[in-house]
Formats: sequence, C-alpha cells, structure tokens
Amino acid sequence: MLKMNHLSKVYRTHLIETHALRDFSIHVREGEFVAVTGPSGSGKTTFLNIAGLLEEFTGGEFLLDGIDVRGMNDDARSRLRNEKIGFIFQGFNLIPDLNLFDNVDVPLRYRGFNAAERKRRIEESLARVGLSARVKHFPSELSGGQQQRVAIARALAGSPKILLADEPTGNLDTQMARGVMQLLEDLHAEGATIIMVTHDPELAARAQRNVHVIDGQVVDIQSEPRMRGLGVVQSAVAVG
Amino acid sequence: MEIRPILSALMRSKVSLVLIGLQIALTLAIVCNSLFIISERAALMQRPSGINEADTFTVSSIGFGEGFDDARTFAEDLAMMRSLPGVVDATTINAIPMSNGGWSEGLSLTQEQKTSTAPTAIYFVDDHGLNTLGAQLIAGRDFRPDEVSERNRTTQGWPAGVIMSRALGEKLWPGQAALGKQVYLDTEKPPVTIIGVVDRLQSPWPHSKRLAEFSILVPQQLVGDGRMRYLVRTAPGQRDALMKQIEAKLGEINHSRIVREARSIERIRGEGYSQDRAMMIILTIVIAALLIITALGIVGMASFWVTQRTKQIGTRRALGATRGMILRYFLTENFVITTLGLAIGAAMAYGFNVWLIQNYEAARLPWYYVPAGCVALWILGQLAVLGPARRASRVPPAMATRSV
Repeated sequence: MLKMNHLSKVYRTHLIETHALRDFSIHVREGEFVAVTGPSGSGKTTFLNIAGLLEEFTGGEFLLDGIDVRGMNDDARSRLRNEKIGFIFQGFNLIPDLNLFDNVDVPLRYRGFNAAERKRRIEESLARVGLSARVKHFPSELSGGQQQRVAIARALAGSPKILLADEPTGNLDTQMARGVMQLLEDLHAEGATIIMVTHDPELAARAQRNVHVIDGQVVDIQSEPRMRGLGVVQSAVAVG
Repeated sequence: MEIRPILSALMRSKVSLVLIGLQIALTLAIVCNSLFIISERAALMQRPSGINEADTFTVSSIGFGEGFDDARTFAEDLAMMRSLPGVVDATTINAIPMSNGGWSEGLSLTQEQKTSTAPTAIYFVDDHGLNTLGAQLIAGRDFRPDEVSERNRTTQGWPAGVIMSRALGEKLWPGQAALGKQVYLDTEKPPVTIIGVVDRLQSPWPHSKRLAEFSILVPQQLVGDGRMRYLVRTAPGQRDALMKQIEAKLGEINHSRIVREARSIERIRGEGYSQDRAMMIILTIVIAALLIITALGIVGMASFWVTQRTKQIGTRRALGATRGMILRYFLTENFVITTLGLAIGAAMAYGFNVWLIQNYEAARLPWYYVPAGCVALWILGQLAVLGPARRASRVPPAMATRSV
C-alpha cells in the first residue's frame, strides 16, 4: 500500500542543510495499522507529510498504492492525495465556518462527485462516527472528541486507501482519546489501512505494528501480535 | 461551484460582509449616477451650436459721449470691419450663443392664447447675420437689406418676417413645415411670418432645457442706449489677428466709447461650459477615488482573510484542493460578496437617480448603466482579489500539519 525505499528529505537554506529523513525505508501493507513513534524532531511529521504527499522528498523511492509519486506535479499530487489518502489531524483542522455536512463535503467536492453521491457519502460517514443527528451543527458547538470524529468522517467519506493520523488524540482528554482510539481500531478491524504518528507509547502499543524513528531513520520495528492493554510488544528485525 | 458553502461561511462573518458589501453598493450607486451626469454634461458640451465657431468672434462697445449716434456708429463700424482683408462678414447682434445672456420671448400660435406655446431666444441681426453666423439655411431665404429696421426702447413692434431654428419649428408645428407659417411674438401685435428656417441655432443659455435650440433671428438693430455688439467672421486662421486689429480700429473710429475686449466664440463656449467641465473633473476624481478605495478595500479584506485562513487553506490543500481550486475559491468568494453588494447597489443607484430627478431635475438613468456598472465592479473585484487569491493558492498543503 505504502512503500518507501531509502527515502531522504533535506531542508536547505542558504546557510544550513537539515537532513530530516535519511535512508528511510518502510513498507505498510493493505489493512495494516502502523504506529510511527519517536521523540520530537525525529522526523515523524516529515514522514507523515511525505506519506501524505504534502511535501516532496529529496531522494529515494516512494510508491503509494503502486504509483511512483516521484516527479509528480502539484496538481497530480493533489488529485492522488484526494483519492487515496484520508487525513486525521491533531488539531482536527475542521473549517469553523462550515457545518458538519459541509466540512465532510470539502474533499468530496474536490473529487468532483455529484451532489447525490456526496450527500450519500456524507450521511454514511457521519453515521459511521455517530454524528448523524448533528449535521447542521458547527464545529464550535461540538466537544473535542466529537470534532475529531467529524474529522475521521471527513477522512473516510472519500473511501481512501489509507488513513494518516497525526497525533489523533493529542488534543483530547483521556476519555475522549479512548473513544477516538476505539473508533480507529474499529476501522482497522473493518479493513482500513492506518498509519498513526504518535509520541504516546501506550497509544502506539494498540497499533498492529510500531515503527520507531530517531534522527530521520527507522531504528526499530515492533510487530504484532497486538497485545492491547498488556503493554507487551515483540521486537522484530528492522526493515532497512 | 462552491457558492452555497461560501455563502454559508460568509453568513458567519456578517460584519465584514456587510462592510465590504455596502462599500461596493455605494460605489455602484455613486459611480453609475456620476457617470451618467458626466455623459450628460459631455453631450451638452458637445452639442453643436449651429454656427461657425472656429472663425468668429464678438466685440462690443459702450458709447458714453453726449449725442452719441448709435445708427451712424453702427454703419461706420460695420463698413470698417467688412472692408478689412480677411473678414468674411460682420453683423450687429444683441447676444451670442452659449454666452449665458440674451433676450427671450414666448411664442403663441393664436392671439387668444393666455400662455405661450414655446419660448425662444431672440437674436437681433442685420441682413449679414445669417452669413456671419454661418448658420445653415435649410428652407426659405435670408433677410434683404430693406427688411432691417432699427429698434429702440420705445419700439414695441416686430418686423414682418423672421428666420427660425428647425427645432423651434418642429415644436410649434410638429410634422409640418414652418416656412410661411405665422406666429405671435406679442399677442397684442400682428404675427410674424417665418421666411426662413436654419438647421440649428443654439440659444445663449447652454443649460436651458426649454430653450436649448429654440431661436429666432429678427432683422433689427438695437439702438438708443449706446451699446453695440458685433459678430465678425473671418477667413480660416485669421481670427486672432483680426480680433486685435478690429478692437483697436473701433476705438479709433469713435473716441466716445469704451471698446470691450474681443472674445472668440470658442472662448465663449469654453466659459459657457466651464462649470460643466469642472463638474466632470470633480466627478471623475470621485469615481476614480471610489473605485481605488473599493479595490483597496477588497484587497485588504481578502489579504486579511487569506492570512487568517492560512491553516484552513493548508487543510483544503491537504484534502485534495489543487492550487487552481484555491484560487477559484477566493475568486468565487469575492464574486459572491460583490454580487450581494451589487444587488443592494443596483437598488441604491436607481433610488439615488429618483432623488436626483425629484430634487435637481436630473434625467432618468438609462437602464444599461447599472448592468454595465455591475460588470465593471465584478471585473474590478476579481482583479483586486487576484493578488491575495494567488498568495492563498501558494500556501503549501504541509501547512495543515504545522502548529501555527
């Protein structure tokens, strides 16, 4: 589903070169739930941005659903992003001036679906996250957990191949975080491919596979069987 | 098109929407009416007088000596002027078209009328009047020398025949030829007969709608008060030199008078319409200022919204919007705002025009001014928002994951 081989990302200014990712390799298969962990500045967000086609990479190879994204122009990247990827942001990133219906509608409009198709998808995805009754509400009228559910509905509405979650519970209290995490697990159980960036080891432990990143490199991969709640993980050989 | 969600989002920023919408509405209302006023003034200024303006000038004098002989002075002055090389013709005249001062009368078709049928300007000229003015005779004939009489303060009567402007004839006898018809300049006196019709002859009052081109040439010389005014027509290119020459010679012929500065008809036209020109300049400045302020208002508002919504734009990009889609979003948003403002502005434009009609006798605003103004403001709005919209389209999608 997502394959990066020897990927590198260098940020350059006229004074300095920063290697955000170096020789970064990862392979996420369809239906996997992968947690990417690491300390601040390790390159997690850069990885997420590149995986989500939000940023270009400097070197290496990146295949998304079998498509080589290297050299793709901005419009093609946007279309591919819209079609293949669903984003769940730490800060929810809902548009405050739009109600829930219109918020979920945003990526669907970009896809070019007709009004009837959009309506069907919006209603289905909001129903999936339990917010059918609040379609006319605005984000400010919802709790943080509910807002993140709307963001998940928005990510799901376009039937993406992969969900990218950036600290999805980072702005939520424990109870709300538990609800959102449960929702992600349910989605995974239904077959969704999920990559979740988090610095919370407890949350990461609930994923099927953990990828630890330090200084822009994958240093460790821990894989299932998932031992939810037991805090037991098994080490596996890092994929280089 | 994202019009519904854009409208929905705008409704949550009502203050900004109302402010910029009202600015656009006011601009439309003022610009449409101002442009209409300018076009009306321009049309007024461009209206042909019906006379040769390029080669004619007027010069006048006031006699002050005891026993000043008006008739003799007229004869001497005219003989001198007509004999000068370069002078095509010269006539006595009481008023000059567009000079804002003259003689008017009411015309009646019957002797029993209590109110006149039409007003008219009166130009007292001699048998050289028509040729000097350069007015185009389209029917009938010019005055003969024997038809020219003197008119002083005690004279109440009118000569038997007059020459009339075509516009006045059409007003008095719609659909009929004026030539040969009779009309009363004074219902207590015999009527005068129209012996000639000129194509066009503007009255001395350039702003009078009632008198605009209603004029009559009367073959009389005004005598008795020492005042004399001449109209002189020269060969092309000799006007300015002859103005100075004749001005000097008039003083030499008779020392018992003050000769006033000779003035060209072009100068009289310029002075006659000076207020219109000033009005046009002021209104043009107002229009330009309003358009600039409105454009800057749109630029400012759009720039603010782009800055305020940087993260949101990044999120839209992350969700799949191309740069073009972001650009179109802001252009569409501006189009929606402008359209709302224009809807109000259209009503205000017509309302403002009604107010001008009721209070200042303005003409009705032609229907196409408001649609044309709307198109212009739509274009202005789109051009104004283009810069901020392009800036918005350059917001990277990675902005969505930044903690700003």
